[in-house]
Amino acid sequence: MSLEVHSHYMRMATKLAKYALDHDETPVACIFVHTPTNRVVAYGMNDTNRSLTGIAHAEFMGIAQIQSKFGVQDTSIFKSITLYVTVEPCIMCASALKQLGVQKVVFGCGNERFGGNGSILSIHKDSCTAPQNKHWSIPGILRKEAIMLLRYFYVRENERSPKPRAKANRKLDKSKFPPMDWTLYLSRDEFESVFDSLLLKHYDDSTDLSDTLNWGLIDDNQDRFFSHLKDECEQFCLQTAKKPKPQTVS
Amino acid sequence: MVKKKQNPLRIDYHRGIIEGSLLHITNHAGLDEPRLVKIWTVDIQARDSQRYIEFVRRFCQNDEPVSFLHIKRIRKSEERGALTVIICSKHMIEEEDVFLMLMEQAPFEYTAISGEFVVPSKGPSTKDLSLKWSSQYWPLVWRGNPNDQIMNDYVFDLPFIKEILDKISNLANSEEQNGESGPPVVSAFVNPKTRKVVYAADARFRDSPLDHSLMRGIRSVAALEHARKASPDSQEKEETYLCLNFDVYTTHEPCSMCAMALIHSRIKRCIFLQPMKKTGCLESESGDGYCMHNNYALNSKYEVFRWLGSEYPVPHVESEVCC
Repeated sequence: MSLEVHSHYMRMATKLAKYALDHDETPVACIFVHTPTNRVVAYGMNDTNRSLTGIAHAEFMGIAQIQSKFGVQDTSIFKSITLYVTVEPCIMCASALKQLGVQKVVFGCGNERFGGNGSILSIHKDSCTAPQNKHWSIPGILRKEAIMLLRYFYVRENERSPKPRAKANRKLDKSKFPPMDWTLYLSRDEFESVFDSLLLKHYDDSTDLSDTLNWGLIDDNQDRFFSHLKDECEQFCLQTAKKPKPQTVS
Repeated sequence: MVKKKQNPLRIDYHRGIIEGSLLHITNHAGLDEPRLVKIWTVDIQARDSQRYIEFVRRFCQNDEPVSFLHIKRIRKSEERGALTVIICSKHMIEEEDVFLMLMEQAPFEYTAISGEFVVPSKGPSTKDLSLKWSSQYWPLVWRGNPNDQIMNDYVFDLPFIKEILDKISNLANSEEQNGESGPPVVSAFVNPKTRKVVYAADARFRDSPLDHSLMRGIRSVAALEHARKASPDSQEKEETYLCLNFDVYTTHEPCSMCAMALIHSRIKRCIFLQPMKKTGCLESESGDGYCMHNNYALNSKYEVFRWLGSEYPVPHVESEVCC
């Protein structure tokens, strides 16, 4: 699938993450796409505050939506699902996605603390977690936008904290980004086959695919986008999906 | 901290076994690698050392993620009569300009600002290695094998532990006989404040394939907290935050999803009965050797023990099943 398609869905995930930020959650969000019909099936946002658990990550919300539509026991639908998530799934989520047999995982920025698709562990291709379900994992799509949303969040949390920390997170850096270490996630050959040989300089220079940052995605209000997205997911069913409708969400 | 000799528990430090029955599960890989941490140092005059200590206490201690307990914070400088002192790690402050901002508040004169020194993040297991690292990197304090001290500091209520292990063993065996909701895997979550125990069985054949016993237990603990918040006398009962400092018992060694879910839930300890050689994620010898609770790349951690005796039999679960 082309970079253009990946970017399209990752823009949706990024807008949803901004929506989550505006509604007092961590700005991490995901979109589940049914690949054969190229349509959005489900979405997810973090729900740790409301659920009072540390495990209600965005991926689990989307998984529950898919299960309520297609039944919990039949996991065959996941073989046709590509997940777009703004931050690399944590080890727990990477394991859950693999145990269900999700086809492909595309993410924005790495998860330096808990990442399960290459940053800390590589659950998606390990041998102790449902090894028959190895899946592709594609990093770095709209990475700067994902990082910037997390920075917005940390600066806000720090301002709200009764005891603000003097050190990191005290100022919002809008221009500098850490280098992108593609080697954590893909070999050079894999990178070339996933993207394009023309983009290999980014792999070699540890740079982002794009020089620019799409500020509209992370600064605009996304309430209307969210209600469209909800409608789109509710309308999805496999019967109508065979005749793809024009995209209503962009 | 108890002295080793005064500990009422029988501990085999060499093999890591408590009272002949609880095996301490740790990461065997790279036990004696120094895992160096970069630090910020300055040179000060000896007369300022008290002021230096107060400064570190006031401005660094709360934010410092690295433990320096095994390290001498003050060493002789190459400059005659001066001392080289550790201000903080580069994990606490990475950039030089931020470090200089901190140092503006120092109530003493200093020179030779440096971010070049490194220290081992954990003390080694032998005195010889401690001496070697001291001359190689930075002077260390030798207080015996740090792992012995860690084991010595653990507190065990063995009668209670046995009671819970007996219960989950029985529950798992009756699941195998009667239950069709999932493989016969059972977990117990013990609230450290109330000692209330929540039991959960695997339900992946009835509900979601991800409804492993540990995931269900975590959600049950949250459901109790939701109920407390909604109850009229919610103020009188104590709040539960996630599964903070819970002891968790489980019949079969957890998979990667569940082992990580326990980190997110901030538990204190996990005791299990049956290793899962292919899918387990706690023992060095299980699965891909993740040692999730003691993985150096993951900061968060919990204690793990396996019960060695045969008092608490568990039903067989196929080797490729993630528990």
